[in-house]
Amino acid sequence: MSEAYAAALAALPKIGPVRLRQYLDRWTPEEAWAAAGDRGVDVDQRWEAYKDAGVAVHVLGRDGYPPSLADDPEAPAVLFSVGDLAALDGPRVAIIGSRRCTRYGRDVAFDLGRDLANAGVHVLSGLALGIDGAAHLGVLAAGDGAAPPAAVVGSGLDVVYPRAHARLWRQVAEAGVVLSEAPLGARPEPWRFPARNRILAALADVVVVVESRAKGGSFHTVQAADQRGVSVMAVPGPVRSPVSCYTNELLVSGSAPARDVDDVLVALDLLGRGPKRGRALRGDGTSSEAAASPDDPHQAALLEAMGWQPASLDQLVVRTGLSPGQASVALARLEMGGWVVGQAGWWEQVRKDAPAK
Amino acid sequence: MLAIVPSATLLGVEGRPVAVECQVSNGLPGFTVVGLPDTACREARDRVRAALISSGLTWPQRKVTVNLAPSGIRKTGGGLDLPIAIALLVANDELDAESIAGVAFLGELGLDGSVRRVPGTVPLVEAIAARTVVVPLDCGAEAGLVGGPDVRGAATLKSLVECLKGEEVWPALPRFHAEPAPPGPDLADVRGQEVGRAAVEVAAAGGHHLLLSGPPGAGKTMLARRLPGLLPPLDRDDSLVATRIHSAAGLALPQGLVTTAPFRAPHHGASLVSLIGGGTGWIRPGEISLSHAGVLFMDEMGEFPPTVLDSLRQPLEEGVVRVCRARATVAFPARFLLVGATNPCPCGRGDDLCRCTVNARAKYARRFSGPLLDRFDLRVVVGKPNVDELLRGGRGETSATVAERVAEARRRARERGVRCNAELPARLLDYSVPLTASASSLLEHKLRTNGLSARGLHRVRRVARTLADLAGDGDVVGDEHVCLALSLRAEPRLGEETW
Repeated sequence: MSEAYAAALAALPKIGPVRLRQYLDRWTPEEAWAAAGDRGVDVDQRWEAYKDAGVAVHVLGRDGYPPSLADDPEAPAVLFSVGDLAALDGPRVAIIGSRRCTRYGRDVAFDLGRDLANAGVHVLSGLALGIDGAAHLGVLAAGDGAAPPAAVVGSGLDVVYPRAHARLWRQVAEAGVVLSEAPLGARPEPWRFPARNRILAALADVVVVVESRAKGGSFHTVQAADQRGVSVMAVPGPVRSPVSCYTNELLVSGSAPARDVDDVLVALDLLGRGPKRGRALRGDGTSSEAAASPDDPHQAALLEAMGWQPASLDQLVVRTGLSPGQASVALARLEMGGWVVGQAGWWEQVRKDAPAK
Repeated sequence: MLAIVPSATLLGVEGRPVAVECQVSNGLPGFTVVGLPDTACREARDRVRAALISSGLTWPQRKVTVNLAPSGIRKTGGGLDLPIAIALLVANDELDAESIAGVAFLGELGLDGSVRRVPGTVPLVEAIAARTVVVPLDCGAEAGLVGGPDVRGAATLKSLVECLKGEEVWPALPRFHAEPAPPGPDLADVRGQEVGRAAVEVAAAGGHHLLLSGPPGAGKTMLARRLPGLLPPLDRDDSLVATRIHSAAGLALPQGLVTTAPFRAPHHGASLVSLIGGGTGWIRPGEISLSHAGVLFMDEMGEFPPTVLDSLRQPLEEGVVRVCRARATVAFPARFLLVGATNPCPCGRGDDLCRCTVNARAKYARRFSGPLLDRFDLRVVVGKPNVDELLRGGRGETSATVAERVAEARRRARERGVRCNAELPARLLDYSVPLTASASSLLEHKLRTNGLSARGLHRVRRVARTLADLAGDGDVVGDEHVCLALSLRAEPRLGEETW
């Protein structure tokens, strides 16, 4: 079983992705194991663990390796997967961004994920907190017949990281596929994430950055995408928002803006498959602030004072001059109407048609 | 010759009567103390000997045995020096047994024969059944606070012996200076911070625990320090209990009885024992008991060790903390108003400009366990006041004005049979907090959209009750109060991690 030896090689402590690739370019897995393997390791027993965990092992250059990744110059020599690799067939868009994002970023990522899946585009992401998770939640919220999601993670497939995403992780594996180049039991060490990002960039036809700080991890993915000629799109954000710093910079340096699913579909040359919704909304102005504002003067004043940045009750009271009681009533009504969302004492304006989550 | 002198020792915040028995008999000269004395108590031997000699009294060159009965309780501290010395004098025939009949003694001796103050005079004197009790002159005022036996003061052993023999008159007891305590900081000094001020007022009126979260310099500490000034004076029972606790902990009682709400602000390095109570030998009341009937302010609450924070949960629920040791179990009263202040994250900047990593923030949030956070009825985000208000804003309401409203709200709570609205039992909520139709539909919406848990619902209703009481509104609680109660109970920042 070549795969068994390949998996065992990948788990050797001193062999990273690059060394592994060198070995397997030169030798078959069996030869490489004979040369570099650890005699104390029972390869058959390890292999049983993979079979028990339902993890498939793919070796570069052999049958079963995802063809979309095979041509990449830095393709992982051994790839592990849980789920159905069919989730990689067809157009693929990676949605990436900051782990600590704003409500705006979450909503945009969620919408993009849902609408792209509905348009038959596979959404790739890293299952991290923040934008990554929101995009996949969006995919899972898409209707029947939506394209299944795919995730590339940095740890072994039995080491769920972040643990808060255990459920999402399982759901993505059931609906689509979760990939990793790390063997079972590999800890989520910091170096694995930039390495993981190159696989994301290699698999994607388009990379969409939703929100990212100046020194965010998205930088690695964008760099890898640039090297491979994969187009990078960025979601415009407020110029004063630190989490939109990098995305706005990408826009300035020539990346295409991704306002909604249509923009991404144009980049994929697939326009016409989208739900035809985002653009229509923007055209008739129902989602812009002019036509849609609540009737109540207190509520309108609060929305005005809030803008598109999170604000605490304290700040809103100061800005509007309302009493805390009046402001609370108006905020509760706004929240019931789906205008704003309150969390941990902070209030944020959401688009009127944003899905209730 | 045998002599028995009544006295008392401290167990927790209560006194326990102790009989000091002394026998002087023939045998090799020596001095033994039996009956479970602790180290300080055992050392009485050397202090008593030196005090007798410096007072010009005779130290018997015979065998002296002192027994502290009952032998099962551990005797702590130096408070038994004086009764041992007196019992020895009687047993050695220096004093008549009649002269000390019905008199109990308390006090520590100095080597020069002076009688020094002992902690816990108030509960100790309470525990003594004798007609008269002699205490250190310094503690004379304190000893007379709670009634009970006649109090006499003694400055030195020599003068005491003279008084007992009838050769001298008893010295006059010191009195408390009647001058009132200087007023605490005033709420009017807080510029802006309308929400923070409202939260402090509600906390004072309803006895709701308060968690203030905000960046450094937002005025969290400033607000918290003004809270005791809003609380009404303690009633007689609370006052006695608080006085007993403060006395037992050895705190000075400059005003006599503790009549204003105590304010304690332990540093975040505090150990579990210092906060809860305990200690080896002498079981001391902790900070939570010292703030009984008052305010416990925990600044930088996130910096307290999680075990220390979680140890607050049971006393918060029961108002009493039971400290169990192998030798004794002591119950300390601990009904306090908890005010916590915390930064939103380790860097303190909070939302947009925060530079903490996701993990650092998550770790910081985990320092507050869910059950502990749940006990805060008020969780308020305070921001830095804006410059205009800081420089040009007028002074807000004074503490006195707010305290009047608080007193009125507390009076209304007493009509419902509770000390404050935070103590309203869940079964009485429907009766005590009737809601308008729109207010209850609003709560229903919150419940349905998972914005509120069942326990949270109760707590919101109690806070809404307090808000309505403060506003002087009628019995039915309307929208505004429910909404504000909801806003003042920000869900903790833990939900963020699920994304």
